[in-house]
Amino acid sequence: MALIRKTHTPSDGDSRRLLRDREGLLRQLDDESAEARRWAALDLAVFPEAAEALCAHLQREIQPAVRQAMLTALIEIGSDAVVEGLLPLLRSEDAAVRNPVVEAFQHLPDAVSPHIETMLQDSDPDYRIFTVNVLNNLRHPQTPGWLQTVIESDADINVCAAAVEVLAEVGALAAIPALTALPGRFADDPFMQFCVQAAIRRIQGK
Amino acid sequence: MKRVLVIDDATTVRMYYRQVLEAQGFAVEEAGNGYEGLEKALASPFDLYIVDVNMPKMDGYTLLRTVRQEPSISATPAIMISTEGQNQDAVAAYVAGANLYFQKPVRPETLVLHVRLLTGENPP
Repeated sequence: MALIRKTHTPSDGDSRRLLRDREGLLRQLDDESAEARRWAALDLAVFPEAAEALCAHLQREIQPAVRQAMLTALIEIGSDAVVEGLLPLLRSEDAAVRNPVVEAFQHLPDAVSPHIETMLQDSDPDYRIFTVNVLNNLRHPQTPGWLQTVIESDADINVCAAAVEVLAEVGALAAIPALTALPGRFADDPFMQFCVQAAIRRIQGK
Repeated sequence: MKRVLVIDDATTVRMYYRQVLEAQGFAVEEAGNGYEGLEKALASPFDLYIVDVNMPKMDGYTLLRTVRQEPSISATPAIMISTEGQNQDAVAAYVAGANLYFQKPVRPETLVLHVRLLTGENPP
């Protein structure tokens, strides 16, 4: 007896009883039911080749719970394709799209780390700040070194201030000489002087 | 004493605003993200909110939109301060409900002047 595929639009009550193969799940990312989209996203976590589609849908998804499910699936997949797909979203004007990408990258240190140096040299200072924010919880051995390079070379005071904040968080003792030298690059700004003094105190545990 | 709530995910930034404002006689409380800021705003009255844009959990725009829809706190003035300096960023801040928008870093004298203006606090 042939199996009969269900093709109707799901309601919240049967949002996980539809086709669970990859193609069926990908179609359900466009379902009018947010619950169906959420379950489809979660179930796509076992299909690495769904990364590109999940990233594309993430950009236009408006329901926070569905966005979170998409990010959960993407973190589970955790491939280079996921990082490639999420990188453009870091430029989104919508903080609700951008912030979860920062959090997702923090869970993917091995996949993200090859991109960090390029991201830190982007022409957009806000993009560089978001990259520094990624470093905040990346748990990668190169993090203090990347941050030190920022405070030694980045021309934007807000990018440097963000890096100082993260250096204080990660407690990088080796960065103290570079921190001490930083206010000299922004000599007339009391905010940077305050940031550096506070960071050094936090790193030294005072 | 006028009460100011500083909402910013950067500890150092919150410490900086606190030091600047407390030296001028303001009482300062801090929140590390939009959710925490909203909770504190609803829990007790403030004379002014200073709000960052990019924060985890709830960003500054969402926070201000929520504040402006909450009758008990909707009239409280707010200064939004962000690293983003494009005109569109200022417009987005005003649309969300900010009374003033500044790009970081804000010089201390500028911050104090505008906090006084918005809270009606006279110089000592």
